[in-house]
Amino acid sequence: MSRGSVLLRASALLLLVAFVTAPDLFAPVFEPLTVNGAPAIYNQGSLLTLTLAHLATVFGATLASTVVAVLLGIFVTRPMGMEFLPLSRSLVNIGQTFPPIAVLAIAVPLVGFGAKPTLIALFLYGLLPIFENTLTGLTQVSPLTLEAAKGMGMSPSRRLLEVELPLAMPIILAGIRLSVVINLGTATIGSTVAAKGLGEVIIAGLQSNNTAFILQGGAVVALLAILIHDLFMTAERTMARKLGGVAATS
Amino acid sequence: MIEIERLSKRYGDTVVVDEVSMVIEEGTVAVVVGTSGAGKSTLLRMINRLIEPSSGRVLIDGQDTMAIPEDELRHRIGYVIQGYGLFPHRTVADNIATVPRLLGWDRKRIAARVEELLDLYQLDPAEFAGKYPHELSGGQQQRVGVARALAARPALLLMDEPFGALDPVIRAKAQDDLLAIQRRLGTTIVLVTHDMEEAFHLGDRIAVMDQARLLQYASPAELLMRPAEEFVERLVGTAERPFRLLSLARVQDALEPGTAEGEALSASTNLREALSRLIWSGREVLPVADAGGTVIGRVSVDRILRFGRSSA
Repeated sequence: MSRGSVLLRASALLLLVAFVTAPDLFAPVFEPLTVNGAPAIYNQGSLLTLTLAHLATVFGATLASTVVAVLLGIFVTRPMGMEFLPLSRSLVNIGQTFPPIAVLAIAVPLVGFGAKPTLIALFLYGLLPIFENTLTGLTQVSPLTLEAAKGMGMSPSRRLLEVELPLAMPIILAGIRLSVVINLGTATIGSTVAAKGLGEVIIAGLQSNNTAFILQGGAVVALLAILIHDLFMTAERTMARKLGGVAATS
Repeated sequence: MIEIERLSKRYGDTVVVDEVSMVIEEGTVAVVVGTSGAGKSTLLRMINRLIEPSSGRVLIDGQDTMAIPEDELRHRIGYVIQGYGLFPHRTVADNIATVPRLLGWDRKRIAARVEELLDLYQLDPAEFAGKYPHELSGGQQQRVGVARALAARPALLLMDEPFGALDPVIRAKAQDDLLAIQRRLGTTIVLVTHDMEEAFHLGDRIAVMDQARLLQYASPAELLMRPAEEFVERLVGTAERPFRLLSLARVQDALEPGTAEGEALSASTNLREALSRLIWSGREVLPVADAGGTVIGRVSVDRILRFGRSSA
């Protein structure tokens, strides 16, 4: 990584931390976007708390998607689970096709307002990329490598844990990255059903016609997405390089 | 000793290996040759049960392989395939340590064994232990593949086209290295190839397979002198026959007393190479030296030609 790119990342992180911990410092920047003396900085709660709640929702949902999607991916690539492959593919696809807002609408009457419906929507939405990448990752492992592993007397579980999963890891990580980044943005709609998150800032701005609020909420989400995307890419690249340039696909 | 008894593999109506029986003596190299699709790889893979036989059995030192749990059996049998199948995410040292780790050796013993094998294969441990497979040349990968197969000191080594991915120069060297190590460790080897040259170079006995059947299983010389079927004769190459015979004999077998002018040949050179040197140097006779470099006699074109006509 070049010095310039490290510097760029460090300053983006610094900017994000400074903004969520001491947003008032940035008031002069947002002043021109307000009308009729409206507040320039979101003042209905701590930005830091909202950011952390937003991250918690996204990571909680993605973690659940990862566990389910990876386990499912492993299952349908084993001899005994092979026949469930088409079925699980369509199930996971439905999760992606259903708009999260529709999931919210269905989930609220069932589980009530708050973080739960958002978690459900994000969980379903995040399954597909991770599942598909787990499949790709596991099936692209060289048959030669597997033949050698088997020929040396590695048991099926050892082959999975010591050969297949490590070799599939960069591609699985790419799937998780995709889910996290999509969910960071999608999570904002959770605020319509009273989930704590950065969506609150944006919705407050929309309701009071305050462009400064909208921009603040959007900017924090965007910065988070960029930094997290970057972190994953670095991890994927490091792993792929160790594997001899097996390119990490997005 | 490996005894293969009426071993067959059928997929539905297709017979891939048809009642093959052969015995491989302790410490010898058996080479299985044949055209592609002849069933040689299937035969090999039935020995370590990567493919379950439809009928027949394999005995290793008198013990039926079906009586040994699959994985345990494979821990005892080295296995090298074309392309080697090294683990790309593991270092050379970790690759070689695979079977010892499966067997639960302690770290010290594994480390010592890895170092020993790297030395044996002329790969400097300091330089190569920490490298990843993609950082190695084809020849180095091949050596790591064989070292990995030998790590837990298996008495039997199965090799499926182990030199197929190497260029001719490196291949010849790799074959010589394998023979040297085989002689040193006394490992029994079953090797599958479609390269007749390789079969004659490496095999103590050669098994010729065609269309699922074992046509002949004999020493290289016998295969040349008394081919059992037309197919064997064609495979060993009628035109090549005298040269192959020559390549089976060493200079010391055709040694004459006396000396001669010119650069000395080593007594362990095969006659084919010796003839080639004679032709190239334009001489009728060349001196022969032993391993120490002392001249112990001479070898002549006449004598070599007679060897190619009669027998070894």
